[in-house]
Amino acid sequence: MTDIVQAPAGLPETKGRSLFQLAALRFRRNRAAMTGCIMLVLIALFSFVGPLFSPHSYDQVFPSYVSIGPSLEPRPDTSTLQEVMESVAARARVTLREFNVEGEAFTATVTSEQPIDPRATRYFDRANEFENTKVVATEDDGRTLKVEGQVDREYFPFGTDSNGRDLLVRVMLGGQISIAVGLLASLVSLGIGVVYGATSGYIGGRVDNVMMRFVEILYSLPFVFLVVVLVVFFGRSFVLIFLVIGAVEWLDMARIVRGQTLALKRREFVGAAQALGLTDWQIIRRHIIPNTIGPVIIFVTVVVPKVILLESFLSFLGLGVQAPLTSWGALISEGANNIQSAPWLLIFPATFFVVTLFSLNFVGDGLRDALDPKDR
Amino acid sequence: MTEMKDSILAVRGLTVDFSTPDGRVEAVKGIGLDVRTGETLAVVGESGSGKSQTMMGIMGLLAKNGTVTGSARYRGQELVGLPPKALNGVRGSKITMIFQEPMTSLDPLYPIGRQISEPIVHHRGGTFKQAKKRVLELLELVGIPEPARRIDSYPHELSGGQRQRVMIAMALANEPDILIADEPTTALDVTIQAQILDLLKSLQRRFGMAIVLITHDLGIVKHFADRVAVMRRGEVVEEGRTTEIFERPKADYTKMLLAAEPSGRKAPPARGAPIILEGRDVAVEYAIGKGLFGGSSSAFRAVDGVNLRLRQGQTIGIVGESGSGKSTLGRALLRLLPSSGYYRFGTTDISGFDRGAMRPLRRELQLVFQDPYGSLSPRLTVGEIITEGLYVHEPELSRAERDRRAIAALKEVGLDPASRNRYPHEFSGGQRQRIAIARAVILKPKVVILDEPTSALDRSVQGQVIELLRDLQEKHGLSYIFISHDLSVVKAMSDYVIVMKNGRIVEEGETDAIFEAPRESYTKTLMGAAFNV
Amino acid sequence: MISFVLRRLASAVPTLFIVVTISFFLMRFAPGGPFNLERPLPPSTMENLMRTYHLDQPLWRQYGIYLSNAVTGDFGPSYIYHDNNVAQLIGKGLPYSMELGFYALILAVVGGVIAGTIAALRQNSFLDFAIMSVSTIGVTVPNFVVGPVLTLIFAIMLSWLPAGGWGDGSFRFLILPMIALALPQLAVFARLTRGSMIEALNTDHIRTAKAYGLPSRTVVVTHAMRGALLPVVSYLAPCAAALLTGSAVVETIFTIPGVGRYFVLGAINRDYTLVMGTVVLIAIFVIVFNLLVDILYGLLDPRVRHD
Repeated sequence: MTDIVQAPAGLPETKGRSLFQLAALRFRRNRAAMTGCIMLVLIALFSFVGPLFSPHSYDQVFPSYVSIGPSLEPRPDTSTLQEVMESVAARARVTLREFNVEGEAFTATVTSEQPIDPRATRYFDRANEFENTKVVATEDDGRTLKVEGQVDREYFPFGTDSNGRDLLVRVMLGGQISIAVGLLASLVSLGIGVVYGATSGYIGGRVDNVMMRFVEILYSLPFVFLVVVLVVFFGRSFVLIFLVIGAVEWLDMARIVRGQTLALKRREFVGAAQALGLTDWQIIRRHIIPNTIGPVIIFVTVVVPKVILLESFLSFLGLGVQAPLTSWGALISEGANNIQSAPWLLIFPATFFVVTLFSLNFVGDGLRDALDPKDR
Repeated sequence: MTEMKDSILAVRGLTVDFSTPDGRVEAVKGIGLDVRTGETLAVVGESGSGKSQTMMGIMGLLAKNGTVTGSARYRGQELVGLPPKALNGVRGSKITMIFQEPMTSLDPLYPIGRQISEPIVHHRGGTFKQAKKRVLELLELVGIPEPARRIDSYPHELSGGQRQRVMIAMALANEPDILIADEPTTALDVTIQAQILDLLKSLQRRFGMAIVLITHDLGIVKHFADRVAVMRRGEVVEEGRTTEIFERPKADYTKMLLAAEPSGRKAPPARGAPIILEGRDVAVEYAIGKGLFGGSSSAFRAVDGVNLRLRQGQTIGIVGESGSGKSTLGRALLRLLPSSGYYRFGTTDISGFDRGAMRPLRRELQLVFQDPYGSLSPRLTVGEIITEGLYVHEPELSRAERDRRAIAALKEVGLDPASRNRYPHEFSGGQRQRIAIARAVILKPKVVILDEPTSALDRSVQGQVIELLRDLQEKHGLSYIFISHDLSVVKAMSDYVIVMKNGRIVEEGETDAIFEAPRESYTKTLMGAAFNV
Repeated sequence: MISFVLRRLASAVPTLFIVVTISFFLMRFAPGGPFNLERPLPPSTMENLMRTYHLDQPLWRQYGIYLSNAVTGDFGPSYIYHDNNVAQLIGKGLPYSMELGFYALILAVVGGVIAGTIAALRQNSFLDFAIMSVSTIGVTVPNFVVGPVLTLIFAIMLSWLPAGGWGDGSFRFLILPMIALALPQLAVFARLTRGSMIEALNTDHIRTAKAYGLPSRTVVVTHAMRGALLPVVSYLAPCAAALLTGSAVVETIFTIPGVGRYFVLGAINRDYTLVMGTVVLIAIFVIVFNLLVDILYGLLDPRVRHD
């Protein structure tokens, strides 16, 4: 390798590729990680944008559709409509003669031995299935009524839960909460961990010793259980849950950042910066922080799934966000309780949950490979 | 190439390829070599020449992404393509290896005795107990003191030189035909280097095995090898008897390598040049073994009462082995670490200066580090790196002016100014060292401390960097403190030499006086080790 | 060595003290108390209860009383389980949790290390991919999903194993909860082992062992494995402490009378003493296993000397 005056081959004024750009290139070449990325984007869109396209709200109860299975067909189907209409007729004390459904509209002919009060249409509207029922013709001195109305057909592609709420929308909401808790709690742990770790590592000496001894003591606290205690005692608000989880998960982050800072402090480019006369703060800003970002990003991809799991654990214990809000963990635990009678209650939220964690895992592995300094 | 009669290892058309994410890399491109009974063959080349990978390929030790093709016959038996099981019959018994890094080449979890016995037990049978007698003999042979006690030591309890001796004991255990030594002394201090090479030489005389010495160091080759093969970019460019190669090199590359031996001398500074940097009674102490809340901590004196006066335009070379305190001294003179003593820069007494007070002086007192890979922040562009000092010392400069100066500095160190938007990892070691030098000279300093600036570089690049440093010195009237363990480089650079050992000055004087007539025995040992292996 | 153990045990005392203090005050500063039920108790009863449990005293007095009792092994009465004090409750439940946790630990360590080693030796093969996918599932699927699914398949659909309970304590009852408990940890061990094994196989001394013609079994088992197990051993401490002190989730799903449930039940009922008891129990397990693992580490790695 000779070193005659020559720049790396390239045109004048070419831009070099920074390590981050190289890492991004490597990352893009990693198929599993890219798939994970795309899945995460899709799931986030599903959770946060999806509810805008659904006619149901997450707390809307459909008493007629309790625990119905998933189906792409609209509810109710025609045969059940007949039954529903008969039961409605029975409630209105009339006999159903004729019943037809065409598209969104239905016509029915009912008779009775007494003249029928036209207000009986209220009985029809009272059922979830029918609305805007109108009397179109009166025959037999009011003993036969021809009514027309619209069938209110609902789509429940994921089925409904045991309270008659649309599972699709609930899964979307659960996604919102789980993802938000995951991200916010990770940010909290990131904030505490980076500040604590960088301070400890950069100051070093006795301060570092004491700060790390404190972290060691905290490690022997049964932390998951402390989360339980805190949530039980201080209430189950969304904010508290992610704050508490974040406050528990920062220990590893602090250790990693401290280790990084210590290693960077010994690097020659930091020595060179000192020799140039840069101040501590300039060194931290220009040299330390940019070089800790890689490992920190990797660690965040580990923390997010951990936090989502911890939240789901709380939900399983009945300590998650309060109904009618929900999270994937809460939905899964509900599903687990009904696994025999209504397996879809477990299958749908669990699928989204597992796919999300799986994707995060692959993204994390991909980032590790892309940013790993050994690979340079 | 014709088959040689007494060749015990005949390599023909050997290639080594690596598949990397950026495509195939050909490390060795179809080379031929012969190793004859009892001779020493040196395979010489700079980093990336494929000299190590050739041997790794033959021995089946390539990384997972490497493949080897061609032929390597050991006494007629083809080794390339042999399944590991069959290969295990040869390696460790007929052909053995020692490596560059004695620190990591031994398993840290087992005592050395057990590690030396392993190849004995596996190739000759028997139990570890039976092998013990042989291990004791071997340890004695390679000069490990108190073998009976050392046999149960772990690698971390030994020094670097001792570990390399243990490796040699392991290599000799089954009395091999060929010993491959892959840069066996590169990681060791010069005096230890000489001992290890002497040991290898005497063992070769005793057991008559052939030695394949892989090295970048021509000094070793000249005194140690019978024949030389020069490799460059995966090819053998020249092969022949050592004396022939050194006296009548044919290939241009070989000539260039031989010429790259640092040569020439520096012009002496003007008579009566003023003293620009002075340190008196310089001492640096490190506390060792401190507990959480103080406790009894002992101090280690890394630098112990050193006096030094640097004149304008002068270069003082500081020589010493690792741990001699030479780098610490350099940093102490720049007031970069807590130290005691009297310091003067120009006419200013800077003894009591703290970081803040030193800051404005930093532009005049610069530092260049050994490792061009570690001393450049990997996330900044070259332009940002070399103008960093300007931010501190001339913050009022406009962007365009900074850019202009960056271009000028890059031109001055012989780099293409267009490369200032690139990142350090895109440059070779020598280029990076030029960037580090540009970072220092852009500030127009008066004193530059050069801490092993050429040690991590290949010989041919070393020469160029030394020339660059000498040119810059002449042009700008710089004063250098040149810290190095490499005596030939120091000789080419300095007016005055200080020899350090254990934090103290052993001997000092004009360069010629020190090199031609060293007085102290330690200096003599150093010289002997460096110049006549 | 003995002095090392003694020193470590001595340093455990302040750690425990801090753990107890933090937990005690954290809990007490929270609103609500053990007797704030939905239907308020008559004031006289309330007063009586408060007096019996010293809850009418100032907080620092209560703390003093708790500490002085705790050092004698008296962790106070449970506010909710009136028939038992905390020490008895834990004494009753712990054997169940420990037995289950012990089997789960064995399964996780043995299974995880074997799977991880195989994956590392066959790096990037289909087998590696399969093992890593399964372990990713193990890490990502929470055990309150695994538990019910296992029950559904093996207990309800196939009727091979009992769905829950301790029964006569025979191994059949332990299999499903053991798997549910071990799976996530097994996955962690597999990933850890694979990572450190790949790293170990790339070290210089493995190259030395190969260069000296040692059979690949010796290279892997004697040289790579021992170094690779060091990070695995480090993870052993938190893992063993977690498994042996019971899991609230698994014990609830499989109705096992262990101590894992107590913490959650205690917390929900604001049963201060029961929560404190569990905190101390877990902290002791963490400290003891950290010590054991450090000793084991010292035996495996001659560079670490405890003296």
